[in-house]
Amino acid sequence: MPQLPPDELGTTGQPRIGTDEWVASVEGRRERRSGLTGQLLDRLEALPFWQPLLVVGVLAAIFPYLTDSDYVVRVGFNALVFALLALGLNIVVGYAGLLDLGYIAFFGFGAYTYAILASNKFDLHLPTVPAVLIVIAASALLGLLLGLPSRRLSGDYLAIVTLFFAQIFVTFTTNANRITLPWSDEPFDLTGGPNGISGVDPYSIFGVEAVEVTSYFHIALVLVVVGMLALHILSRARTGRAWKALREDPLAAEAMTIPVNRLKLMAFAFGAATAGLTGSLFAAQQIGVFPQNFELPLLITVYAMVILGGAGSIPGVVVGAVGITVALEVLRGPAEARLLFYGAILIGLALAIRPWLRLAAVLVATVALGYVVHFVVGSLWPRSVARPPAESEGLIGEFVDSWMLLPTEPGTIGNVAYVVLVASGLGLTLIRPAWRAFVLPPILYLAAFVFENRLIYQPSVTRLLVLGALLVVLMNARPQGLFGTPRVEIA
Amino acid sequence: MDGTFLLQQLVNGLTLGSVYALIALGYSLVYGILKLLNFAHGEVYMIGAFIGYFVLIGLGGPEDLAVPVAVALTLMFLAAMLGSGLLGVLIERFAYRRLRNAPRIAPLITALGVAFFLQSSALLLFGAQFRSYGTFQFMTGGIEVAGVRISTTRILVVVAAFSLMIALTLLVGRTTLGKAMRATAYDREAAAMMGIDVDRVIVATFLIGSILAGAAGVMFGLVFFSVYHLMGFTAGLKGFTAAVVGGIGSIPGAMLGGLLIGLAEAFSAAYISSTFQDLIVFSILIAVMLFRPTGLLGKADIRKV
Amino acid sequence: MTGDVERSGSGGPDLAAARAGEPLLELRSVSLSFGGLRVLDELDLHVDEGEIVSVIGPNGAGKTTLFNLVTGIYRPDGGDIDLDGESIVGLEPNAIARRGIARTFQTIRLFLNMTVKENVMAATYGGTKTGPLRSVLRTPGARREEREVERLAEERLAFFGQRLMGYRWDQPAYSLSYANRRRLEIARATATNPRILLLDEPAAGMNPKETHEIAELIGQLRTEGGFTILVIEHDMHVVEGISDRVVALDHGVKIAEGSFEQVATSERVVEAYLGTKAASTK
Repeated sequence: MPQLPPDELGTTGQPRIGTDEWVASVEGRRERRSGLTGQLLDRLEALPFWQPLLVVGVLAAIFPYLTDSDYVVRVGFNALVFALLALGLNIVVGYAGLLDLGYIAFFGFGAYTYAILASNKFDLHLPTVPAVLIVIAASALLGLLLGLPSRRLSGDYLAIVTLFFAQIFVTFTTNANRITLPWSDEPFDLTGGPNGISGVDPYSIFGVEAVEVTSYFHIALVLVVVGMLALHILSRARTGRAWKALREDPLAAEAMTIPVNRLKLMAFAFGAATAGLTGSLFAAQQIGVFPQNFELPLLITVYAMVILGGAGSIPGVVVGAVGITVALEVLRGPAEARLLFYGAILIGLALAIRPWLRLAAVLVATVALGYVVHFVVGSLWPRSVARPPAESEGLIGEFVDSWMLLPTEPGTIGNVAYVVLVASGLGLTLIRPAWRAFVLPPILYLAAFVFENRLIYQPSVTRLLVLGALLVVLMNARPQGLFGTPRVEIA
Repeated sequence: MDGTFLLQQLVNGLTLGSVYALIALGYSLVYGILKLLNFAHGEVYMIGAFIGYFVLIGLGGPEDLAVPVAVALTLMFLAAMLGSGLLGVLIERFAYRRLRNAPRIAPLITALGVAFFLQSSALLLFGAQFRSYGTFQFMTGGIEVAGVRISTTRILVVVAAFSLMIALTLLVGRTTLGKAMRATAYDREAAAMMGIDVDRVIVATFLIGSILAGAAGVMFGLVFFSVYHLMGFTAGLKGFTAAVVGGIGSIPGAMLGGLLIGLAEAFSAAYISSTFQDLIVFSILIAVMLFRPTGLLGKADIRKV
Repeated sequence: MTGDVERSGSGGPDLAAARAGEPLLELRSVSLSFGGLRVLDELDLHVDEGEIVSVIGPNGAGKTTLFNLVTGIYRPDGGDIDLDGESIVGLEPNAIARRGIARTFQTIRLFLNMTVKENVMAATYGGTKTGPLRSVLRTPGARREEREVERLAEERLAFFGQRLMGYRWDQPAYSLSYANRRRLEIARATATNPRILLLDEPAAGMNPKETHEIAELIGQLRTEGGFTILVIEHDMHVVEGISDRVVALDHGVKIAEGSFEQVATSERVVEAYLGTKAASTK
């Protein structure tokens, strides 16, 4: 039985096959848990699942009352919507191991179906419960239909089919306001085209209409908590085991009485149903649906959440969803984005550079380098420092002003700097770890340069860049995400 | 609709199909060797189109060329092919290489991430507006066949595409590198044991595929004029469909598939509706996958259990 | 489910195969080709209830293909495969597994990231019926079935002595030693309550001591577990020690069948393994 070759960059903690070190390392693991945080973690893991969940759930329920701002509550609602989406995707990708790149289309399908059933569009105003039930059933059915080709398809083909499907969905909804029906002369408007459907009915449960965003927050919270609980129970039950087995080795699972194709379809349908349900909630809160809501960037976002949190880990994907939602919101405003940017760099450096001295040296060098460059280049070409930085109030603004080159026309030079930055980032991985510290200061300065001159002014693109880069980096460096367990695979 | 209209669509389809065929070849080559669907391939094509555009602008743009047209075209193609080729090699080296033995999901998700990153980078660097190749002065000429006008551009594009395909077939069929590529595609481990430098072969595969994609990008710009950051995504999907329809892993299959998809798109756009041409192509994909999963010219994959 | 004795090989005489001495598993004239390569050619093979039959032959003889055919991974081009008199050709692998054919793999295909116990519990899927809804609602029926599944898994693991017991239950399968992984794979196969066990090279890669243990284990599987067993094996000591009957294949054709002595000394078998000259110098 071949041993796994050691990882290229020597990442430790990657499990090896066949070495009974798991047992041998019991002592080691017991020791590590002795510090305060260690004991805390120990206690947390020993608790039954629902206890921490209850505590967090109650705290979250209070959250909307702790703030006056509707905007903040809406961000919270968005985070919960994403958490629901992530949970659904977790079933498909994390449990069954199917790469469904059309997942967002189910979200959109659910939203549009609800909008058609409960809005002014066709003057259908189905009450909430039947409408939502229909949405769930229809989404599950659609999931089944889309999953049927997966019987004969390997994972790669499924990915393309689902991706294409998502594309078709957007095209369809954008164009289905002019469908020619054979029996009538007037074109039929199904989806409202690029303008979508507005005037969607809000949720109405037990006769009470949900109008405020706080109500929707609570509805979403209930759904998330119930969903997490249900998934947790399911993962330890017969179906969950079968899904996990199917992800591990479909051939062996089949030989062990597990009907692999049926379970794949079930996973697909579950995921689709979850996404559809979430879609209806989303439509009700937004009081409208538009094709632009459901495009590729959304898919990448949900995937980034699941991968970051850890595919297969229920609390993980929820944390991933909340974390990324909040981070993306923070990125909107330049001042906050700056904090996030420099903060993330600092944390990243702190995690990557172990000896405190070395970390401090790198930071000092970067700052010093910046001042030097600013002085020299600024003296030679005054226009290279003439522009005030974005959001330049206070200390931070002054710091940036005196430290960073801010040319009056940042466009082209910023672009070139961006390309150079990406290239040097890649090159960084080629340099021996011990020497990286020397190369870091100019690269960090360059990164800050690109940020202050280009990225900070274009938050919407920046978030996309970050998400894409996050996926690539995660899959290469830490595929199990934050809370997943490192998996052993035989090719 | 009369015969001339039909012929016109035929020409359109062939031109578009040549572009798709080049893209499909890149997919097929990489899938044959690594069993990886390189989602980022479409974005490499898009970058090639942009490189060609910027070279064109740099030389004075279509109106005011500083050099003869032929030189301009050569430069555009060369730059795009080199740029895309380099990009493809970088992607393989930094995004995929570590994941060679990982479960299939990992490189697929990574590829998606790379594609998205490239797309967003293009948005950042170039903005969201469409850029246009414009029309060359000499390119406004053309010939007439059976009442259908075929512009010089289209002829150039189709000829160039076919030349590249022939060159590729010769490369894979006649050269040592080609033999090494075929061997690695059959059985990577055995090839390594026979002394083939598998890493180099893989790099070469990515390089060739990306070069073709870069060329395809410039061709698209020449014939259809508009270039924008989202063009890689849909073209990538269609290119992949073409590869699957023709039989993934098969070079003649990719060419055939590309032409078929191009024709299908042209005809459905003309006779049915341009908004639903994507749907038609998608249906073709599903149909092929359900009824002939190995594609038209593909071989069944026998694997030892 | 644990009350089901009908299909388990737990020692009781089975009604179906007891009728008129019909074989439990029967292949008649089974053929399979891959492209131009004829992998199995009109193969006749049968296994009676309670027997241990070994299949031997040089590499490429078609032994694993035979297993793949019986378990439904491949579909034969021609011929019949019957389990208990009923044809299983064309059934999906998981349906065949449910009918009572379980197997292990030459290369050990465990669910590596699942725990030892979970591996075995997963294999009980076909014999249980709790759906996702009832699992989530934790109905009494669901909880009862879950307890039974757990008990069955522990029971099957206990068969292997202390090796896969106690703290080992919650260890991930990838952390086990090679020999233990083989044992786990066999334990997992028995959890499907099969009529017949197909073991593909169970002694591969083992040292003499472990090989001896495996051979004893196979015997115990028959005597204590009551399983009928079809084994592919290369190690002739094992074959000699456990087999009631041996079948030798070469290039997809049966070249000998009988007791170990008969087969081991058959000229065709020696020729297949060692070449013509060796056979002629006997």
